[in-house]
Amino acid sequence: MASISAELQEQAASGITASEIMVTAAAHEVRDGETAVVGIGLPQVACVLARQTHAPRLSMLLEIGVADMSPVDIAVGLADSRIFYRATCWSGFLDTLGMNLHRGVVDVGFIGGLEVDRFGNVNTTLTKDADGKEHYFNGSAGGNDVASLANRVVVIVRHGKRKLPDAVAYLTSPGFVNGRSRRDLGLRGGGPHRVITDMAVLGFDNPSRTASLVSMHPGITVEQLLDNTGFPLEIPNPAPMTPLPSKEELRLLREEIDPGKMYLR
Amino acid sequence: MPDKVKSVAEVVRSIPDGSHIALGGFAIARNAIVFAHEVIRQQKKNLTLSQGVMGMETDLLVGAGLVSKIIVGGGSLDRFGPVRCINRARDSGAIVHIDSSSLSLAFGYLAGALGISFIPIKSLLASEMMERLETAAPDYLRRGKCPFTGEDFVFLRGITPDVSVVHVPIADSNGNCWIHGPRWENEEQAKAGKRLIVVTEELVPTEYIQREPERTVIPGHRVEAVIHQPFGAHPTSVFGCYDYDAEHLKLYAECHKTPERMNQYLQDYVFGPHDHWEYLEKVGGLRRMNEIKAEAIFGY
Repeated sequence: MASISAELQEQAASGITASEIMVTAAAHEVRDGETAVVGIGLPQVACVLARQTHAPRLSMLLEIGVADMSPVDIAVGLADSRIFYRATCWSGFLDTLGMNLHRGVVDVGFIGGLEVDRFGNVNTTLTKDADGKEHYFNGSAGGNDVASLANRVVVIVRHGKRKLPDAVAYLTSPGFVNGRSRRDLGLRGGGPHRVITDMAVLGFDNPSRTASLVSMHPGITVEQLLDNTGFPLEIPNPAPMTPLPSKEELRLLREEIDPGKMYLR
Repeated sequence: MPDKVKSVAEVVRSIPDGSHIALGGFAIARNAIVFAHEVIRQQKKNLTLSQGVMGMETDLLVGAGLVSKIIVGGGSLDRFGPVRCINRARDSGAIVHIDSSSLSLAFGYLAGALGISFIPIKSLLASEMMERLETAAPDYLRRGKCPFTGEDFVFLRGITPDVSVVHVPIADSNGNCWIHGPRWENEEQAKAGKRLIVVTEELVPTEYIQREPERTVIPGHRVEAVIHQPFGAHPTSVFGCYDYDAEHLKLYAECHKTPERMNQYLQDYVFGPHDHWEYLEKVGGLRRMNEIKAEAIFGY
């Protein structure tokens, strides 16, 4: 495993963080010429990185009614005017989520959440106590729409046993519910394609439609990964490694896209 | 042209208890705070509120104990935190809550605005919202099939609020409205209402609207009343006019953590001031408003 240790040395030397690996992996999920619905934070950073590298013709939509923004200031959320500076279109839900997403022309949808389970179902609605008492959180907003309708859904969450449980406490946004096909569920979109965390990339290209390992980030051990995942995960031997960001990707992330480390903690 | 300009107090007096009010804000943007404050001062009760993405206006009204039901897609105060008064009310069962998605609200309002009784949507299928609402709210949504193709859909009931309230940057006295920046579900939400009230930052002559009528999102003939209130959305933002007031939102985000502190907030900032001008003095006056005023190029 000489190549891995060389990679690890390089990673240590350039101080590459888990967030940088995560966001670069997300950027690699979009192709040039595609249309993506993005949320604020890491998905937006990933799409801007993709645009400045391999996907200059990527279109980005924000659910509130924004296309192809080029913000110069960091926003605190989707409702912050900073996010929609220098856009090419201002419209509303009916345009972005309706006549694009519902119409079926959105290639990739990025969502985050409180939890994502082994079928790629996402919870953004509530948490439950040990005694079952519910504590409400933000809810769906456009999350359910994106999960139901985008051709490929990419979920971005931090890795942890409670973030990746066997089953979500509340099913806000459907993946492959109980391993059923999207067609069987009555849903149009292609469903979850990747779950990208700060430890690994998971995918669903298997007959059981459950999350399986696509690649592990360099520096993460199999033991760490299994200890932090709430469902069984098959790990091929040797486990494929997530590519590290290139020198140019790192430069863009650190100097141009998020110099203040608002998202790339 | 009719002059529909009225005071917020006069408008709110005309809204009966038990009304369904559709609110036009989104998280911390273009919330009709001046309207919400007056509803709280006049203690309108047993309200139903609907909104795509809830923000501070809805949190204030729920926190004041005036709301019995919400029909919503989601909501938060962005990075300032969750809508804690609403979440507490959902946790304790104090309000009926119909939780769906942003697009579901936009579709529901669209059906209402078009005068059709339902609309099919591909969202919500196989979700827990669907599962819970099918039994708890069969008057709001049902499962159905396309009569032509047999494809599965959710049929959403058209939403026709008693009153729709939209906060805009520019309107004339007849109610012709311009909205700068993204409009989320405002156009459908406004036109779905049986009555439509607009709150405007700036009141302009109709001749100004006539110069660029393609910018009119809500035409005046649909509007019942125009409330003119500069900084009427404070501490939320109005694109092109002013930024959100981060300092006041942080203060609110601390206060709404407990019912006791929320009550104190309402005493200090809603019941204390007699009107919005007094409220604006209380939160920093002209000096603060000038600090959050939008920069000409950026619009924030």
